[in-house]
Amino acid sequence: MTTSQPSTAVKPWDTPDAVPFMQIKNVTKKFGSVVAVENVSLDVYKGEIFCLLGGSGCGKSTLLRMLSGFEVPTSGQIIIDGEDQAGVAPYDRQTNMMFQSYALFPHMTVEKNIAYGLKRDGLPRKEIATRVSDMLSLVQMDGFANRKPHQLSGGQRQRVALARSLVKKPKLLMLDEPLGALDKKLREETQFELIKIQESLGVTFVVVTHDQEEAMTLSSRIGVMNKGEIVQVGTPHEIYEFPRNRFVADFIGSVNLFEGRIKEDGKNHVVIASPEAGTDIYVPYAISGVEGQQIAIAVRPEKMEISKADLGDMRNRTSGTVDEIAYMGNVSVYHVLLDSGKRVRISQSNRSRFNDDAPTYGDRVNLGWAGRAGVVVTA
Amino acid sequence: MSQRETLNGKLPGGAFLGRALHRIGLRGRGLVIAIPVLWLFLFFLLPFLVVAKISLSEAAIARPPYLPLWNWDDGYLNITLNFGNYLFLFDDPLYLSAYIESVKIAAVSTVITLLVGYPMAYLIARSAPDTRNILLMLVILPFWTSFLLRVYAWIGFLKGNGIINNILMKIGLINEPLVMLQTDFAVYIGIVYTYLPFMILPLFANLVKLDQSYLEASADLGARPVTTFFTVTLPLSASGIIAGCMLVFIPAVGEFVIPALLGGPDTLMIGRVLWNEFFSNRDWPIASAVAIVMLVVLVIPIMLLRRAQAAEAEVQ
Repeated sequence: MTTSQPSTAVKPWDTPDAVPFMQIKNVTKKFGSVVAVENVSLDVYKGEIFCLLGGSGCGKSTLLRMLSGFEVPTSGQIIIDGEDQAGVAPYDRQTNMMFQSYALFPHMTVEKNIAYGLKRDGLPRKEIATRVSDMLSLVQMDGFANRKPHQLSGGQRQRVALARSLVKKPKLLMLDEPLGALDKKLREETQFELIKIQESLGVTFVVVTHDQEEAMTLSSRIGVMNKGEIVQVGTPHEIYEFPRNRFVADFIGSVNLFEGRIKEDGKNHVVIASPEAGTDIYVPYAISGVEGQQIAIAVRPEKMEISKADLGDMRNRTSGTVDEIAYMGNVSVYHVLLDSGKRVRISQSNRSRFNDDAPTYGDRVNLGWAGRAGVVVTA
Repeated sequence: MSQRETLNGKLPGGAFLGRALHRIGLRGRGLVIAIPVLWLFLFFLLPFLVVAKISLSEAAIARPPYLPLWNWDDGYLNITLNFGNYLFLFDDPLYLSAYIESVKIAAVSTVITLLVGYPMAYLIARSAPDTRNILLMLVILPFWTSFLLRVYAWIGFLKGNGIINNILMKIGLINEPLVMLQTDFAVYIGIVYTYLPFMILPLFANLVKLDQSYLEASADLGARPVTTFFTVTLPLSASGIIAGCMLVFIPAVGEFVIPALLGGPDTLMIGRVLWNEFFSNRDWPIASAVAIVMLVVLVIPIMLLRRAQAAEAEVQ
């Protein structure tokens, strides 16, 4: 996965004395008896692209609306750049938001839309004009200044919305599903452009999205949300390779979860008896658990091998029958039915254009994965 | 086409009617439009043409009280068009001042109605859906009582020993009753009161559709609520404002009952002039000319404006 982080970049979240730019402290939001956001604490550092990732109704948008001041937390504290945001109205906050619907004013031209925020600050006309035209060229929309929003395509509107939310140089820019309304191809292009713009301006971004691929590509760190709580915070790599619990493992990418019990709790390894997998699973590192404890092993589809031949060199092996094959061009995804009745997904990249040895429907196949390929999830 | 044939095959009578309508160029869509067109022709255009005809004839002591426009005399068709009625309207300053006064009263009332109605419509549109229905019901509720009755009720409020004067004198704010009835003030009150729902309803329909995210975007960009109102809400509700103002202004110009009951003898509105010409003077041609001029001078420009607005809205 690509991240915006250059390889030499410092990771402020790993630096103990780094001061977070934005702090959310024990924030809870209730609508009547419904708890939308429950006891969320989060630190975001300057210059980050932080993604709040979760399904619909997980509270990510509510959290974003509390950051911009449209909702008031029931309890807890939000601090941006050292200032407590309690009681600060949306129009007094030095944050801006890019709305999911873009919310471009339909009765104003592109130019007036972008200038709107600057005019409210009472800046001199000349400065407004230069800043608007700078912004227009940053988002590659010069020449569209006098169009009305309804005369623009979806992608162009997205750029104008971005320009309008960035022109005031906010301390924090919130983006609510910024690429949600674009088609796949445009979305992929725009992702990288968004990163470039963010790096050139140095504004801290908080992005809300339900699209894990978007979160992976854009963000320096991801906060995965479920039922109003943040379940894991980490870099895209950490979230993908070291999911903390079943929800994260399952939500990000696809995963095979083998339920089992700890059979052998060694000093530098564990063996998990998993009738579901049809084998004892070996994990070459110690975990904090007791024998007999119910846990699960998460193995990503691309980290498994599938073959009609013997996979003798693999640490963990089982077998099953090919039930379905999805050919996707770059990869093929196999659905293999294990003897336990468990379905397993395995993806193999199609390196060769011709592969006569590839397993096909109904074939008896061997599956295997290395000891380090699986992650133990306890929660 | 095949559908029509099978349908026609089942219903022989329908088939005949269908074919007949088809022959005169009426089918499906045309038929649907034909009904309102026919309605407008019968109840708007035809009466209008009758009035136009009368306005060009000469008054007479007869039944009906005007001379026919044409007669057949010894093989000659004589058509007499009398434009004197129209010329007379411009001769007598009474008519011109009545027109101006009507427009003035209607315009002022429309502005007041807008100022009163907008906050109400805004409040209704912003309230919770349950409350909203109750409030809308309250706006429409007066229509359940006769309009005349409601105007008479205002007489009871405004007259010398009416409710308002009694209350003001009781609390010692005034020593002798204020003259309110039979003044322009009473006419304004009557018009604003009567036409308020016609202002509120189109404004409400417009404001309730207003996307909240525009208001949030405005606040997010640093606009205080008042600024947001004037830069976003108000311009975006322009079509509702225009619709409401039209619905109030047009009937208010020709209003007769309210100035007759609440206004004084010097409240000169064109509706009253018309009534006087028609019933007191029995001068149907002059009355018709007054009506036609009102339509041409006032209503047609308004219609054109409205059309331009609609075309603009289409673009948006």
